Amino acid sequence: MRVLHRHRWLTPALLLLPGIAWLAIFFLVPLGFLGYQSLQSGSFDTGYSFSWHFANFSDAISSYDTQLIRSFVYAGVATVVALLISYPLVYWIAFRSGRWKNLFLLLIVAPLFVTYLVRTLAWLNILADEGPVVGILRAIHVLGSDGRILATSVAVVAGITYNFLPFMALPLYVSLEQIDPRLLEAAEDLYASKRQAFLRVTLPLSAPGIVAGTLLTFIPAAGDFINAQLLGTPRQFMVGNVIQSKFLELIDYPAAAALSFVLMALILAGLLLYARVVGTERLTG
Amino acid sequence: MRRIRKHLLPAYATLAFLYLLLPIGVVIFFSFNNPTGRFNYVWEGFTFDNWVHWDAVPGIRDAVVTSLQLAAISTIVATAIGTLVALGIVRHRFRGRSLVNVLVFLPMSTPEIVLGASLLTLFLNMRIVTGFVTIFIAHVMFIISYVVVTVKARLIDFDRHLEEAAMDLGANEWVTFRKITLPLLAPAILSAALLGFALSVDDFVITYFVSGGTTTFPLFVWGAARVSVPPQVNVIASAVFLVALLVMAANVVWQIRSGRREDETLPPALPVPEQLPQAVTR
Amino acid sequence: MTTGLTRRTLVQRGAAGITLLSLPGLLAACGGGGGGGGGNEVKDVLRFSNWPLYIDFDEKTKKRPTLDEFTAKTGIKVDYFEDINDNASYFGKIQGPLSQGRGIDRDIIVMTDNSRFPKLLIDKGWVEKLDKSKIPNISNLIDAQQSPSFDPDRSYSLPWQSGMTGIAWNENVTGPVTSVGQLLDDPKLKGKVTMLTEMADSVGLVMLANGDDPSKVTDATFNKAIDRITKAVDSGQIRRFTGNDYAQPLTKGDLAAVVGWSGDAIQLLADNPKLKWELPQDGGMIWTDNMLIPKGGSVPTASTYMDFVYDPTVAAKIAAYVNYVTPVKGAKEALAASDPKTAQNPLIFPDDATLAKTHSFDATALNNETYIAAWQKVLGA
Repeated sequence: MRVLHRHRWLTPALLLLPGIAWLAIFFLVPLGFLGYQSLQSGSFDTGYSFSWHFANFSDAISSYDTQLIRSFVYAGVATVVALLISYPLVYWIAFRSGRWKNLFLLLIVAPLFVTYLVRTLAWLNILADEGPVVGILRAIHVLGSDGRILATSVAVVAGITYNFLPFMALPLYVSLEQIDPRLLEAAEDLYASKRQAFLRVTLPLSAPGIVAGTLLTFIPAAGDFINAQLLGTPRQFMVGNVIQSKFLELIDYPAAAALSFVLMALILAGLLLYARVVGTERLTG
Repeated sequence: MRRIRKHLLPAYATLAFLYLLLPIGVVIFFSFNNPTGRFNYVWEGFTFDNWVHWDAVPGIRDAVVTSLQLAAISTIVATAIGTLVALGIVRHRFRGRSLVNVLVFLPMSTPEIVLGASLLTLFLNMRIVTGFVTIFIAHVMFIISYVVVTVKARLIDFDRHLEEAAMDLGANEWVTFRKITLPLLAPAILSAALLGFALSVDDFVITYFVSGGTTTFPLFVWGAARVSVPPQVNVIASAVFLVALLVMAANVVWQIRSGRREDETLPPALPVPEQLPQAVTR
Repeated sequence: MTTGLTRRTLVQRGAAGITLLSLPGLLAACGGGGGGGGGNEVKDVLRFSNWPLYIDFDEKTKKRPTLDEFTAKTGIKVDYFEDINDNASYFGKIQGPLSQGRGIDRDIIVMTDNSRFPKLLIDKGWVEKLDKSKIPNISNLIDAQQSPSFDPDRSYSLPWQSGMTGIAWNENVTGPVTSVGQLLDDPKLKGKVTMLTEMADSVGLVMLANGDDPSKVTDATFNKAIDRITKAVDSGQIRRFTGNDYAQPLTKGDLAAVVGWSGDAIQLLADNPKLKWELPQDGGMIWTDNMLIPKGGSVPTASTYMDFVYDPTVAAKIAAYVNYVTPVKGAKEALAASDPKTAQNPLIFPDDATLAKTHSFDATALNNETYIAAWQKVLGA
C-alpha cells in the first residue's frame, strides 16, 4: 500500500496493465499486420508484396462511398431507434421493477443467447409477406397491397436495431440505476413538474449511459454485414458486406484491409465529433 | 387521466418486452414441432420428442457445452480486466489517457472478418494451435471494450463522498474498495458481464477463424443450416434462454427469502449539492 | 456469505481449468503436427474435416456407423471434424498455414467444385496427389464425374457427394416454373424470385438459358448472362440473392420460385407437398463436394479411406442418411434391398437422362478475378 502511495503512477499502471497487455498482444499486433496488408499490392495468384500502395485506400473510398454512407445511415437510424425504444423500458426497470430488476435485465439480453441465425429465422417467420404482421400493416395502409417488409432497408435497419438493442439498453440501465430517487423528490419539492424533473434531473444524469449506449450500438453496427446479407437485397449492402466479399470471394486481402481501415478511421472521426458535441467529460470521464 | 398516465409506462414496458421476446416465443414454439424433413419451417405436429432427445443431432451436445464453458470463462476474465481498466481510466489522470480510450474503442470498430483473420495469422506465427484456448483469447479481447464502456458509464458520476467517508473512518483503500466501491459498482459489473456473456455465446465470425477443430454452438448452427435446421437447435436455444432466466429468478427469490433488502448499500449521504444540476430551480 | 467457494478457490480452479484445457491443445501441436505429417506409411489416425451432417449417423447409438466400420476393417481411427461450413470461409482459415508450406493437421478436407477453391488449391500446389494404387474402387466412380475441368485426371480429388441446382417453386403461389427465362421475365413472378449467391449456379443457369455452354465460359457469354441478371435485379424481378435461406420464404409462400438445390428439395418436399423442384428445361447445374488431401496430410491413409468409401455398400449407407447424389456406381442397387424408397428417389439417384442435362461450370472462369468482381457487384458489393 505504501508503495502505491509513494509512486502515484503505480496504481493506474497496475489497473491498466492486464487490459492493455491483452489488447496490445491480441489486438494491436494483428491490427499492425492488417495495416501492413493494406499497403500491399498484387493478387492472390501472383502473390502480394509490400509496396506502400496507398492507392488501396483511395480506391476503397471512391469505389464504395455508397456502401460507406449507407452503413453510417443504417447504423445511425438503428442507434436512434434503439435509444428511443430502450430508454422508457430501462427507466421502468430501474425505477419501477423493484426486486426483479436483474431478472428483467436478463430478459433484455437473453435473446442474444439464442443464436443469431435462429432468431433471424424466427423474424423471417413473423414478418413473412403472407404473415399476420404484414397483413395488418397492409390493412391499415402503412404498406401497399403488395408491400412487404422483408428484403427492404426497413428490414435491415430493424434487424440491426433488434440485435443491438441490449447494447443500448444495458449501459443506459447502468447510469439510470444509480440515480437516487430522492433527487427527483427534491426536484418536485422545489415545484418542478414531472416533465421538468425528468428533463432537468433524470435525463442529464443519465447522459453517461446514453453516450455509452450509443457508442456500443453505433460502432459495431456500422461494420455489420449479416443483417444486410440475410434481410436485404443488393441495394442494402453495407461496408461489412463489401469487406466480406473482398476477403472471402476475391481473396483480395489488401483491399479488404484498406477498406477496414477506412471504416475505422471514419468511425474514429465520428467519435471525435461526438466527443466535441457531448463534451469529452461524458466520453472519457 | 392520472390513472392512465400511471399505467402508461408499465404498459409500454410490457409491449417492449413482447417485441424483444416475440421471436424467442416462435423459437420455443417451433422446438415442439415434428417435421418430416430436415428443416423446421412448417408446423406439422406437437411433440416432446425433441426435448427428450435433445442431442440426437451429431455434434450438437459438444457444441453447446463448449459454448457455455467458453462464455463463462471469457466473461469472468474479461469483466475483471475491463473493470480494472475502467477504474484506471476514470479515476486517474495520466499521460496517454486519450490514447487508452481510443484503444478501447478500436476493437469494436474493426470488422470481425479482418480481425479474425489477422488474429489467426498471429496465432499461426506464434505457433499457438487454434482451438478452445485461442477462442478464449479472442473472446476476452473483444469483450473487454464492452465492459470498459459499460462500467465507465457508472464510474463517471460516481459519488466519491462515500469512499472518502469510509477512509475518514479509518478504512484503507483496499477495504474501501471491497466494501464501498465494489458493491456500488455491482449492478454495472453485472450488466457488463451479461453483455459479455451474450457476446461470447453469440459470436460467429471471429470464432470461426480461430476455432481450429473446436465447434461452438453458433458455428454448429451455421454449418448445419446448409442441410438442416433440426428442432433440436430450437430446443437448445430455448433451453439456454430458459435456464438463464430460471437461475436469475431463483437468485431473486433466494435474496427475498434470506431477508436482504434490495439495495444493500449505504444510501448516499444527503445533501449532495454537487449532484443536482444547476438548473433545477424555477 | 461464506460458501464453500471462496474467491481464492475460484481463481485457482479457473487457472487450473485454463491450463488443463490448453494442455491438450499444446500437446496436439507436438503430436499431430503442422508440417510434414505426410510420409509413406499408413498412419493409425485419419483426420477428416467435412461439412456438418454430411455422413451417416445413428441417432440411437450416437455413432457414425461407416466410420466405425472403417476402423474395424483397417484399424485406422478416424478423428472426424465438422468444421467446414462454407468454402470461402474455410479457405480463408486454411490459406495461412498452407501458404507458409505448413500442413493444416488434416488428411482429408471436402470442398465444392462450384467454388473456385478446388482448382485454386490444386494450382497452388497445396494438395497432395492421391495414391490411386490404394484406391482400386476408383473404378466405381460414375462416368459423369470422371473428368472435371478442375482436375481432369482425378489426380487430386474424388467426389464425396453431389447435388443439382434447378428451380424450386411453390404451387400455392404459382404454376410450374420450368425455365430460367420464365424466372427472369414472367411479370407474375415479380419480386417473388431469388437466385443463389454462387456464381456457378446462377450465372451457369442463365448461360444455359441463353443457349451458351457454362463449361466453356468466354467474356461474351459471361457478360451476356450478367447483363440479363442485372436487368432482372434492377427491375425488381429478382428479390434477392440467397444461400439456402430461400427455403423458409419459399415454404411460406413469400417466394414463388427460386434457384435452389436438390438436396434441400428432398427435405422441403417431405414437409410440404406443394413444393416442387425440377431441372430447368434448358439444363441445370451439378456441383460436387470433393475430397482433397491438403499438403502435409497422409496420402496413404487418406487414400485407404477413399477406397473404403467407394465400395457400393458403404456408399449406399452414406447416401441413405445424407440424401445427396452419390458418385459411386452400384450404390443404388446396394440400397434397393434395404431402403427401396430412397433408392427410387430421383433426386438422390438421378437417372442418366437427368444427369445428361446437368452441367458444370468452367473452373478457370471461377478463378477469373474480373468475372468474380463483376458478379460480386451484382450481389451488391
